[in-house]
Amino acid sequence: MTTTSLQGVPQFGRRFFGADDTFTRIGTGALGGKAEGLLRVHRDILPALDAGEFPGIEVAVPTLTVLATDCFEAFMRLNDLDPLAFSEEPDGRIAHAFQRAELPPEILGDLRALIARVHTPLAVRSSSRLEDALDHPFAGVYGTKMIPNNAVDTDTRFSRMVEAVKFVYASTFFQKARRYLTSIGQDPRAETMAVILQEVVGIRTGDRFFPDISGVARSYSHYPAPGSRPEEGVVNLALGLGKTIVDGGVSWVFTPTRPAAPPPFNGFGDMLKKTQNRFWAIHMGQPPLPDPIRETEYLVECGLDRAEADEALAFVASTYDPSSDRLRPGIAASGPRVLDFAPLLTTGVVPLTPVVLRLLEISERHLGAPVEIEFALTLDRRRGLPARLGFLQVRPMRAAEGRVAVTQEDLGRKDVLLASESVLGNGHLESIRDVVFVKPDAFEARHTRRCAHDLEGLNRALAAAGRPYILIGFGRWGSSDPWLGIPVDWSQIHQARVIVEATLPGMNPDPSQGSHFFHNLISFRTLYLSVRHGGEYTIDWAWLDSQETAAETEFVKHVRTRWPLTVKVDSQSGRGVVRHEEQEVR
Amino acid sequence: MQENRPYNPFEMARSQFDRTADLIDLEPSARELLRNPLREYHFSIPVHMDDGSVKVFRGYRVQHNDARGPGKGGIRFHPQETIDTVRALSMWMTWKCAVVDVPLGGSKGGVVCDPHDLSLREQESICRGWVRQLARDIGPVQDVPAPDIMTNDQHMLWMLDEYETLHGGRYPGGFTGKPVALNGSLGRTQATGYGLVYSLREALKELKIHPEETTASVQGFGNVAQYAIELLSRIGGRTLCVSCWDQEDHTAYAFRRPSGIDLEELRSITDRFGGIDKGKAMDLGYEVLPGDAWLKEKATVLIPSALENQITGDNAGQIHDQVRIIAEGANGPTTPEADQVLQERGIFVIPDFLANAGGVTCSYFEQVQSNMNYYWPMDEVLAKLDLKMTAAYIAVSDLARRSDLFMRDAAYVLSVNRVVAACKDRGWI
Repeated sequence: MTTTSLQGVPQFGRRFFGADDTFTRIGTGALGGKAEGLLRVHRDILPALDAGEFPGIEVAVPTLTVLATDCFEAFMRLNDLDPLAFSEEPDGRIAHAFQRAELPPEILGDLRALIARVHTPLAVRSSSRLEDALDHPFAGVYGTKMIPNNAVDTDTRFSRMVEAVKFVYASTFFQKARRYLTSIGQDPRAETMAVILQEVVGIRTGDRFFPDISGVARSYSHYPAPGSRPEEGVVNLALGLGKTIVDGGVSWVFTPTRPAAPPPFNGFGDMLKKTQNRFWAIHMGQPPLPDPIRETEYLVECGLDRAEADEALAFVASTYDPSSDRLRPGIAASGPRVLDFAPLLTTGVVPLTPVVLRLLEISERHLGAPVEIEFALTLDRRRGLPARLGFLQVRPMRAAEGRVAVTQEDLGRKDVLLASESVLGNGHLESIRDVVFVKPDAFEARHTRRCAHDLEGLNRALAAAGRPYILIGFGRWGSSDPWLGIPVDWSQIHQARVIVEATLPGMNPDPSQGSHFFHNLISFRTLYLSVRHGGEYTIDWAWLDSQETAAETEFVKHVRTRWPLTVKVDSQSGRGVVRHEEQEVR
Repeated sequence: MQENRPYNPFEMARSQFDRTADLIDLEPSARELLRNPLREYHFSIPVHMDDGSVKVFRGYRVQHNDARGPGKGGIRFHPQETIDTVRALSMWMTWKCAVVDVPLGGSKGGVVCDPHDLSLREQESICRGWVRQLARDIGPVQDVPAPDIMTNDQHMLWMLDEYETLHGGRYPGGFTGKPVALNGSLGRTQATGYGLVYSLREALKELKIHPEETTASVQGFGNVAQYAIELLSRIGGRTLCVSCWDQEDHTAYAFRRPSGIDLEELRSITDRFGGIDKGKAMDLGYEVLPGDAWLKEKATVLIPSALENQITGDNAGQIHDQVRIIAEGANGPTTPEADQVLQERGIFVIPDFLANAGGVTCSYFEQVQSNMNYYWPMDEVLAKLDLKMTAAYIAVSDLARRSDLFMRDAAYVLSVNRVVAACKDRGWI
């Protein structure tokens, strides 16, 4: 059968697995940013890996087919969806309308042929044109749907896949996406969407399908561990689907050049409380109540007991022995399990860290910039090898540029509003006069959603006025767990130029690792400072309260200072400071 | 448009079968069985006319062969309907169902009448009378009628209603071509036209022609033509010329635009019989040419989608050298003499009963859905149609290549072999 090749990507030939090509397309339009990144991995990065360099680990981009952007455009035209898509209708209405719409007939045969041959879970992923064209992060902006794809009859599997594609199409026009595009100065009408249909890396055990490990690795760390340099990078690992990491949940963080470095916890008790104890999997059992417009329709969150029953902990967990107050790698003994990935990171049975380092190195060389990669790993749960690493994404990080020097002495000056030795970004600002902060006296973890709502309103007003501001709050900004922080998305706080993550005794999680949110910080050159209560440097709340109140709600206050504040963040030293110099001092 | 020559379609159908039987060295018992329909019903339908008179109409139903499953075939209302036409069509239905591998046999029916001269009430009476004559011999598990020339979904509903009244139940799978709102299938309207393009798409791949480089010239502008043009455009092709019958001038015209016709534009000036308004077309900048200009167009593909007997031994030589493929949307548009010329010229032909099998395939889907009383979304219907038509094309093409046969011969060989196998498996021969 003749195949038409565009950009060197062959047309889908109605065989998914078992075909010569594991990266194919349907349609003739653009592939979108995510798919372009994967194409780079498939074509340039992975071939640079020597075949025998890591025996026992197969590294590949999981088989995929891309529905190119012309399929999306044909779908929108065929169903005349533009008026609804750009209306003020709520997301649910838009999603339902997209579900009722019809896919273009010219792609149906290919989709049907694909699903007729594939009986394993599929990830239906967004790959938008603008995320390729722009140097802005798009992670978490559009939808991704994982489908179990295990129904016996092809009709059902086909329907589920079609629903997932339509869901991803609809997510192009959800409020979050449109607000985000507007916040980066883009017209939502300029966006067009490709969709990746990709094999999910994982193993099925019982009613759950999940990878043994998901990971995000960065070649430059904005949170270098003590003794590590930013250039040594950082890796986040989680058991199960990578949703844990992308959503800002609890994951294991380490410097890849020092995988066995001591954990940054206050003892094993602290570790037991602050390591991952739940994981995400694709639910393969009894189909749930249908909800095609819910992104997590087929996902299930499980506890470690399930993972242990699935024999998935041997290489990722250690066991706490209270009698010796020690953590022993593996699960041979009984006792509380801690997901510290020690068996993997310390024994080298599965050379995950060397593989990740090598992939970071090759990726950085090819992209010419610090990179972030996503991957998923399955391994032999008894022996470790053979293992399979699926390379899921690569994107350039916007690394810190320039040098801003902040000394230790700078942090201790009398005119300091707040200071930190844990910062993100690099820069020097002297024009900000607006500060929006969550009132420490009024704050309670149970009200974080209301805080988010109030903040959105203030952000909108300040954006309309063109006034950048400093934002101060408690817990992890952007956390999807409202008990760990304030659950805002970027578009609700995008006007902030400086974000301060503070803590209180009742809200004291580790600094946020939500990768998609903090990429926004770097992309917009938003500066970040972390200030922990009870630490050496605190926030001068009294001074803030003495400033003119511009707006106030039950939980949040907006003040306007008389003179512009000075903000300096030095990513190399890891120090940052906000000072309220009086005008005459300058 | 070519003038209709008198010819006997049943003889033509038989001669096509005989040729195939010779090719595969078919045993005499199978030949004898398949040269003739298994059953024929000839009957009279008395109708009380609106003017108070009683008129008697002749009706037919021919069941050619049902070894592979219940019979399938349309019902025509036509003033010149003959039993030989119905026989031929029923035989072609057997082959059509077999080539696309749906589990159905071949049937066809008709009534000698002209609906233009009948009121709706009179047509309804004919429909109900037709069913009353055949109620014991048709139905979901025997023989499933559908619309054809000058019958439509309303006729099917009247017939279904009569059948259900007589049988005391609901049997939506007894008739196809019903409206979507009343047990019809989504996709039915597009099916024949789209099905043609699925086959064409595969032929283009085989001939290493990109759809984006494909141009077409189409005879006819009815349902089949319009949806074929639509899907061809969606996959990147362009239609340069369409022809249709002009009821007022009693002749055919061809409408041409070198940059490609605008389907929606032409649809907006077309009547319900597929006739394009000549004056409005000229105003829109189309060249208006004699009807046979479609045949001579410099295009990659010709799609005859009107009547039988249009490409003949006399005019096949006028086809432009650039034409690579003929995809037969109509039944029997190419005569055996023309076939010879096309073969010599190296023009690839997708035979009618393969190219236009999308309609019967979707009828089969409607039957299945109706029998389950559960209806599929459009995506599912069209996706299944694509796969079914593609598989059918590939099977015929593979056979043609392996056995060094012309596509039409390969299609017949495949079909006949399948039907013969079914007859043998049942112990009939």
